[in-house]
Amino acid sequence: MTEKKHKQIFIHGAISSSFIAESIQKHSSKTNIGAHSIFLGQVRSDSINDKKVIAIDYSTYEEMALEKMHELREGIFAKYPLTCMHIYHSLGTVAAGEICLFVFTSAIHRKEAIDACEEMVELIKKELPVWGKELFEDESHQWKVNK
Amino acid sequence: MPINITAFGQISEFISGTISVDKVNDTDSLRKHLVVQFPSLKDINYAIAVDKKIISVNTLIEENATIALLPPFSGG
Repeated sequence: MTEKKHKQIFIHGAISSSFIAESIQKHSSKTNIGAHSIFLGQVRSDSINDKKVIAIDYSTYEEMALEKMHELREGIFAKYPLTCMHIYHSLGTVAAGEICLFVFTSAIHRKEAIDACEEMVELIKKELPVWGKELFEDESHQWKVNK
Repeated sequence: MPINITAFGQISEFISGTISVDKVNDTDSLRKHLVVQFPSLKDINYAIAVDKKIISVNTLIEENATIALLPPFSGG
């Protein structure tokens, strides 16, 4: 038995604004959609003990993450009447100010799109096996902790 | 038996590749064994995944199982 191939969500490096714009554009033919909800996670330049974060280096346990994402996606689709949902997460180095997470839900009406988007972001933060290593100006680092 | 263990996040800084552990047949004894070999693990609240599933109770480790050590997630 071959293992089921899950949809890829990882993008190497930052998620560009043109990629996001194109994703939105692609939905213009789906005229039953009345609302999109988009969450964009941006790398924040925190100051920790007077050292500034200049980038985050993301890594994952890819096989597990894609399996988990498949499960989370099915849960969200079962709960909300969505037309579609797209999720992208960066891997590798993403500089402060760049986008590292893109969650995009679409539905007939706004409430489902907004609620599903919010819930998916929370699930990603809590359940997706991804780790962020905060890189400082002086080349030292620390492992990010999600709040 | 040799167990194939892969570590992620901060744990990958001191455990990498396949490590061989003997006299370990379940996840509780694996934890005890690992903390002796890698004392840094003591300060990390990590989860264990057996064949890509996070286990919540002591679990038997079958031969050829894939074991992963997962520190707290920090994606997004």
